Amino acid sequence: MHRILIIDDEDDIREVAALSLETVAGWEVMVASSGAQGLARAATYQPDAILLDVMMPGMDGPATFRELQKNPATAHIPVMLLTAKVQATDRSRFADLGVKAVLVKPFDPMSLSQQVAEILGWN
Amino acid sequence: MGDPAASQISEAMNRLWQKFLPQMEERVATLQSATTQLANRATLTLEEQSGAAADAHKLAGVLGTFGLKEGTELAREAESLFEGPPDALPASLSRLTSITGQLKAMIADRA
Repeated sequence: MHRILIIDDEDDIREVAALSLETVAGWEVMVASSGAQGLARAATYQPDAILLDVMMPGMDGPATFRELQKNPATAHIPVMLLTAKVQATDRSRFADLGVKAVLVKPFDPMSLSQQVAEILGWN
Repeated sequence: MGDPAASQISEAMNRLWQKFLPQMEERVATLQSATTQLANRATLTLEEQSGAAADAHKLAGVLGTFGLKEGTELAREAESLFEGPPDALPASLSRLTSITGQLKAMIADRA
């Protein structure tokens, strides 16, 4: 069973994404509501992948990603950024960070897991 | 017989919508308050403007997930207007008022 960590400060997005990945794909989901909490959980739980929101107060998504990359315990974990920004320039800037993919919010709860599985080659 | 996962998701999404409805309404109220202030004073404080842009951004990210794709588009437009230069805001008042009203109605209908 795949293990996914969702890092997002918005509780509605966290719950919908968790519901989607657990119910549709049967994956084990962990959540974190801030970048700092996400760093700790990623190191402890060693998820197979991380869904990381871009806009968060305090440590935002890109800063959290850079910290994940610095830590040998989490640097290997593939990260997909979640963003409601749809401008091509924003998406290109996020992709240049070195993340696995940039997923646009809103997402379809029925197809989110399929999208993630395709990106990670889990099909 | 429908897809059991789809049915389970649909029911769970309806429960989550009810749970987060006050949050959605609060975000629209922020947009409405900013629009009212803009109508009254022809300007917004930076805090009001950034708060409205942030709440429009959150609405844009979530409404479509609950099936309100048009709501996402409207919220994106509001976010873009609130992120614009402060002196351009008065010219957007009519559009922002319309968007806020549409979002409020859409959310009430989904409930």
